[in-house]
Amino acid sequence: MDRVGVARLQVASLATLALAWEAASRLRLVDPLFVPPPTAVVASMGTVIQQALPRLGDTLLKTAVGYAIAVGLGVGLGVLIGSVQTLRQVTMPYVVALYSLPKILVIPWIVLILGVRAPAAILGGVLFAFFPVLVLVVGGVRDVEPVLVTIAASMGASRWQLYQKVVIPAALPAILAGMRIGLVFALVGVLLTEMFAGIRGMGFLMQQLALSFNAAQLFAATALVSVFSIVAVLSLDALNQHLGKWR
Amino acid sequence: MTAEHIVVRDVRKTYQTATGPVSAVEGVSLTVHAQEFLTILGPSGCGKSTVLAMIGGLVPPDGGTIVVNGTAARRPDPKSVAMVFQDPGLFPWRTALHNVWFGPELQGTARSAREEAARRLLESVGLKGFESKYPRELSGGMRQRVAIARALALGSPILLMDEPFGALDEQTRILMGEWLGGIRLQARKTILFVTHSIQEAIALSDRIVVMTARPGRVKDVVSVSLPYPRDLNTPDAVALRARLWSQIREESLRAMAQEQA
Amino acid sequence: MRLIFLRGALLALVVAIWELIARPLDPVLYVAPSTLPQAALRLLNQPDIPPLLEHLGATVRAILAAYALAVTAGLALGFLMGFWRVVARAYEPILAALYAVPSVVWYPSMMLLFGLGTASKVAFGFLLGFFPIVLAVLAGIKQADPHLLTVATSMGASRWAIYWKVLIPGMAGTLAGGLRSGLALSVVGVLAGELLGSRAGIGYMINHVYNLLRTPEYVALAVLMATLVLAVDSAAGRLEARVKRWTG
Repeated sequence: MDRVGVARLQVASLATLALAWEAASRLRLVDPLFVPPPTAVVASMGTVIQQALPRLGDTLLKTAVGYAIAVGLGVGLGVLIGSVQTLRQVTMPYVVALYSLPKILVIPWIVLILGVRAPAAILGGVLFAFFPVLVLVVGGVRDVEPVLVTIAASMGASRWQLYQKVVIPAALPAILAGMRIGLVFALVGVLLTEMFAGIRGMGFLMQQLALSFNAAQLFAATALVSVFSIVAVLSLDALNQHLGKWR
Repeated sequence: MTAEHIVVRDVRKTYQTATGPVSAVEGVSLTVHAQEFLTILGPSGCGKSTVLAMIGGLVPPDGGTIVVNGTAARRPDPKSVAMVFQDPGLFPWRTALHNVWFGPELQGTARSAREEAARRLLESVGLKGFESKYPRELSGGMRQRVAIARALALGSPILLMDEPFGALDEQTRILMGEWLGGIRLQARKTILFVTHSIQEAIALSDRIVVMTARPGRVKDVVSVSLPYPRDLNTPDAVALRARLWSQIREESLRAMAQEQA
Repeated sequence: MRLIFLRGALLALVVAIWELIARPLDPVLYVAPSTLPQAALRLLNQPDIPPLLEHLGATVRAILAAYALAVTAGLALGFLMGFWRVVARAYEPILAALYAVPSVVWYPSMMLLFGLGTASKVAFGFLLGFFPIVLAVLAGIKQADPHLLTVATSMGASRWAIYWKVLIPGMAGTLAGGLRSGLALSVVGVLAGELLGSRAGIGYMINHVYNLLRTPEYVALAVLMATLVLAVDSAAGRLEARVKRWTG
């Protein structure tokens, strides 16, 4: 089946799903209190956007700050650790172990120290995003072909030039991959902290909507955040593709 | 009296491996004259690449001295020496043009000057029109030509080449050898060439240094006085080939036995 | 040898610094490692702390339920999509897009639909664990070496035989990786759900002691859970490595 056919299949199946859902909800096959019909969800979009947009902006701002910190630390440390073999061999087992731990366990402590305020959410974002960035950057730097470094050194490149003109461009695909994953993780960290601590933001808003059984608005809000996230990630992907056209 | 460009005296190199120290090079001495094409010929593992790396300042010798263009070779000196390896090592994220101007870029040369020089070099290696191609879009032979252009861009009088055509198929190899011979006369460079191919050595060199199997020592130094362009089917060439092969064969067998050990 | 020494030294250094920094500071906020063993004992003994083993059991049961669902649904959907290439081409992009959404946004909806009991935790754990598994199945099928399939076909293998004897063994490594990630994520999902509001489980216990400002107990619980997760994940990792060795 060609691309048009595939697209038609996608649209058709999603439409069928939406229709079935609408019918099931309207005919009370499922409790409409919990599962509102799609039309109700769409109808509440207006209210949601009005109410949620400032909250979403709040959350996204915290995410941006946390993400920037995590990427700065992750790339900086990653390049350092990745290029010094002993350092890498000594620290990486711990980094990998920390990466596989549920970082959510640390969130209560962050809230305890920083209070029920934005910095806690930002730190939550940093915590979640830092590790994938670090791990991927270390891997990317480690895998830079040694012959490229040898050649540049033989041409008289200084240490700084080696990093700037060889190591980082060569590791760039891995760095970008880490940054892409890190973005979603940063958002998770911020939302999770907001939900846990009741910090003002999108996470808290969504929890409120859930606890007040405002299903239509909750689903609309969920859709809103999802769309934002998908767009952000797809943009990063497109950037990645463009920058990596030499591969 | 031609000036001596490279003087290697009694160098040694020992590597520490997991199974103990291994002597790679033991007491190698040789001299390369200005604008001479000298080939180091030897079986695999005989230390010829190590000698080249020491001359290029990439590896410090454990004993002996190396003087390149008047100064001791302790670190890479792009003003005197440019290196080309078997792996062209082109930066995959840079176009051919940007690869060629890498050396001048490191040295802070102005962009317009670098660009003009790089274009001229690419044209001289026969790759005019390929300036914006990425390495993955080029064949093996083309990549190696870009690598050579990149080395030439440094403007250094000496070129060290470590089996540059080793990864190419036979036909390309022979053609690249012919091309290098032409470039060499044009560019007036001193070339120190490492290979295990007798055919290449005879086709390109003024003198050939034959090395023993590990630990590498100089077994023989042979002058090649065949006229250019080199025809490898003349009686002189055939005799030379036979002589070199008998020496190499002995060392190759020894090298093979070392690998099994 | 030297590496092991250096790694041990690093760990000792970190613990020592933690101890030195935490000791003079407010014990409610900063927990020194030396207070942990006693806190752990208190977890088991004191009457105003809910029974540890009971809640640990609840969490483990929830994780197992979520993971079982994730594996079943993930493998089923993955292979279904693998069998019918058309289905895969249509829905894989949708799945990939959904994977780009921060998982935690689904949680309020889970809370709404399933309440604050175990069901919402299992549902959330299932959702999180499901994605890496189904994506691993799809990746494994896509990366199948076409040459091996050619060889098998030339020997007269039926479609089923190719599936069972060539395709699946060939993707076992990728699959193992996906199953391992799925487990890790199911654990995170259940824990997150419990921490965000529940009546049972380790997350509930953490919330409980945390609200009592008994920070050492909270840290002890966190360390306990972290150790368990690490142990399980490293076992899963070794299993994955063995599978990868076996399938080349």
